[in-house]
Amino acid sequence: MPITPPVDTIDYRRRQKIGRIVQRLVIVVSAIVLAAYILAPVSWLVSSAFQTETEIVSIPPHWIPEEPTLRNFEAIFTAGNDEPVTYETRSGADPAAGDFIPSTAENLLPSMANSLIVSILVVILNLLVGVPAAYAIAKIRFWGRNASVYFILITRVIPDIALVVPFFLVIRKLGMLDTLGSLVITYLAITVPFTVFILIQYFEGLPDELDKAARVDGCSRLQALIKVFLPLSLPSLVAVVLFTFLTSWNEFLLALMFTQTSASQTLPILLASFTSDFTVSFSFLNAAGVLAVVPPVIVAIVFERYIVSGLTAGAVKG
Amino acid sequence: MLFLAPVMAVLGAVAVFPIAYSLYISFFSIKLTRPNRTPFVGLKNYTDLLGDEAFWGAVWRTVSFSLVSVTAIAFIALLVSLLLNQEFRGRRILSTILLVPWAIPYVANALMWKWIYDSSYGALNGLLYQLDFIDKYMVWLGDQDKTLFLIANAFVWKEVPLATILLLVSLKSIPSDLYAAARVDGATVWQRFVHVTLPAMKPGFMLVMIYETMMAIRHFDLFFILTEGGPGSASHVLSWHIYVETFRNLSFGSGAAMSYLLAIATFALSYLFIRTLGRKI
Repeated sequence: MPITPPVDTIDYRRRQKIGRIVQRLVIVVSAIVLAAYILAPVSWLVSSAFQTETEIVSIPPHWIPEEPTLRNFEAIFTAGNDEPVTYETRSGADPAAGDFIPSTAENLLPSMANSLIVSILVVILNLLVGVPAAYAIAKIRFWGRNASVYFILITRVIPDIALVVPFFLVIRKLGMLDTLGSLVITYLAITVPFTVFILIQYFEGLPDELDKAARVDGCSRLQALIKVFLPLSLPSLVAVVLFTFLTSWNEFLLALMFTQTSASQTLPILLASFTSDFTVSFSFLNAAGVLAVVPPVIVAIVFERYIVSGLTAGAVKG
Repeated sequence: MLFLAPVMAVLGAVAVFPIAYSLYISFFSIKLTRPNRTPFVGLKNYTDLLGDEAFWGAVWRTVSFSLVSVTAIAFIALLVSLLLNQEFRGRRILSTILLVPWAIPYVANALMWKWIYDSSYGALNGLLYQLDFIDKYMVWLGDQDKTLFLIANAFVWKEVPLATILLLVSLKSIPSDLYAAARVDGATVWQRFVHVTLPAMKPGFMLVMIYETMMAIRHFDLFFILTEGGPGSASHVLSWHIYVETFRNLSFGSGAAMSYLLAIATFALSYLFIRTLGRKI
């Protein structure tokens, strides 16, 4: 039996203890740094949205509003109700301070409605198109199956900016410029591949026996899909709905090309138009920004589990 | 296959057709300023680009922007994923708020950073001033040397969450026996990290690098809102160049040619991407 060298146990234990303390310290410090990195920019946006224009231009800035005000949000929700908000009627503001609510502020809520309509339609079409395709690829052996998978993968990586020019020419020819329909159609290009991809992953994880059993019991393929697979795939369906919704809600480039008036402008477009207007007050701009940020962030936080699983399924195979 | 028909029809119409059509129009000189004359010019749109300094400048700026941001994203995401792979109180909350930048629309992200970088009242100036790093407010986005880095910073902030989530997957897939075995063999923390953790993360890392590069070289929103390609041409990247050429100069033919080159670059990357992804299909 080999003789083990004598270990200075006290020293060893102490070193272990110090090591553990150091480790905890590193974790705590980096967790705080990370939280600050993520939250600081957003907090500044939110804090600015509740400041008056006079407060917002103070140097150095007030990190926390000293006289919090809801005026900026009020301006958004009441814009266009009574008299049109113009340069002259902007609640007696001082033009020199740039305290200016743009006349297009009244389009903000309609643009949110536009975003909502487009997003919902894109979600529905995605499910209608994506679910059967994913089921077929995952559960039915057919000639050209691999080719279909690669085809869908390739369409997933086409850069949106490469689609803009041809889309624009076609949509102009069809007379569909400045319609919500043009957005719904083009958003399918950037959402459907991802949808199919996530669903394939999930369907492949469900046992083939389910499919066989359903078929033996006399289900058609379609019945097997609707009665057996869909109820089981709820988590992946939720993920698909969330992704499609957020992608459509946040999309900017295509909307920039195809929308011109409040008939079809989505929230990101209106927001962008505010930022390029140098007369718009900072406080109002930030309030509009907060309004654009709140819905997707709430969705992300409430459905965190689904989003993380969707993201990993969508990008990592297996 | 009836089940596949809808998806093929849709993708054919909204993805394959536009890409093919885009190739077609890139062989024509289409200017909306003279809508009735669209002569076929063959490869001229492409050959013109070869000698076009503005184009190569834009390509170079796109490459530098992508290099800087993808490196930063991968590095920060590595640190964050290592942190979130530990067990500690508050880890759940931290992983939840990590999703905040991911969920924010790019336009709102741009608006937010534009306001942070504001030269008169922005938070960056305010913070550095209060911490005594600067003694007077500085110009940020308006400074040619800083613009691209500042935009990259806004891009990185928004892209880190996704990269982190992807890296966490490969971290979680490392069997704990490996660490135990390494520890028995007397490996230090650092050795375990270098010889066990890093190799296991390689596929995840590849994925993040390729995916984020694809996102970076096509990125448009931040450039549109933060700088419009300026100051001068400091942030005049390829996607912005395509936009200006197409929708401001109304020269659709050459715009299509450039976007086609960008698409090809993306496809080349995606070949790697698909090989990394599709290995198990």
